[in-house]
Amino acid sequence: MAVRHLNVEVRLEPGVAVLDLMGEINGFAEEALNAAYAEAEAKETNTILLNFEGVDYINSTGIALIVGLLARARASHRRLLACNLSEHYVEIFNITRLSDFMSVFPDEESAVVEASVS
Amino acid sequence: MTDPKPARTDANIRRTLADFSVPSEPGNERLAMETVAETVRDLDIRGENLERLKTAVAEATMNAMEHGNKYRSEVPVEIMVLVEDRDLMVRITDSGSGPPPAQAGDVPDLEAKLEGMQTARGWGLFLIKSMVDEMNITGDDGHHTIELVVHLGAEGGK
Repeated sequence: MAVRHLNVEVRLEPGVAVLDLMGEINGFAEEALNAAYAEAEAKETNTILLNFEGVDYINSTGIALIVGLLARARASHRRLLACNLSEHYVEIFNITRLSDFMSVFPDEESAVVEASVS
Repeated sequence: MTDPKPARTDANIRRTLADFSVPSEPGNERLAMETVAETVRDLDIRGENLERLKTAVAEATMNAMEHGNKYRSEVPVEIMVLVEDRDLMVRITDSGSGPPPAQAGDVPDLEAKLEGMQTARGWGLFLIKSMVDEMNITGDDGHHTIELVVHLGAEGGK
């Protein structure tokens, strides 16, 4: 079965840099994810939003990569948000307690509204 | 991957639904996951419970390929899917040696990971244990087996 390597596009919305994630978040995703996060940091916003709409698979190595992004965000006093996770991955973010440290929104619109008022 | 063998009956109440293997190559956990999902499509496991089983199978196969077989592609991970009474069992076996982990599946300390005091990794067994009704790990000199159990029916799954 062919691995769907992660592709990430970075864009700027009012007050928030958005990472559009497309593909699988696994061990192969590390370089693309870290490069995109660095590009988002360069936008100099206080909030970075991970948009999981195009993601259909996250494994434990992918969870570790997201923990790494969260650690970077905390170190630089940025907020990291997530949106468009499937019901299953919302559960995984809850049981891993990732959602205690990064707010999870059902869609991009509600996440951007939150980013703009905080 | 070897082809799943046709179902056979081992005893009055235990049925083997599939018996196959995958090479220990990165990404093949998805092949194992999708093959198990296809195997159980006619059983009483749907929706979120099926997604949980798929994640558990993928993580257990990853562990077997990485820690047991050291990603040697010529060393396969063996996977059996069985039904006994109202239990679905998936047994995933690698060629690792040494004792199985004693404290398998403890809750990782996310705060320590975020502070850099622990590696960001180490989620696999915790995820597996969280996704199924039972997780049993056994081993001998040449093999480790992780058994995933899901109780079928209205109360099945976590």
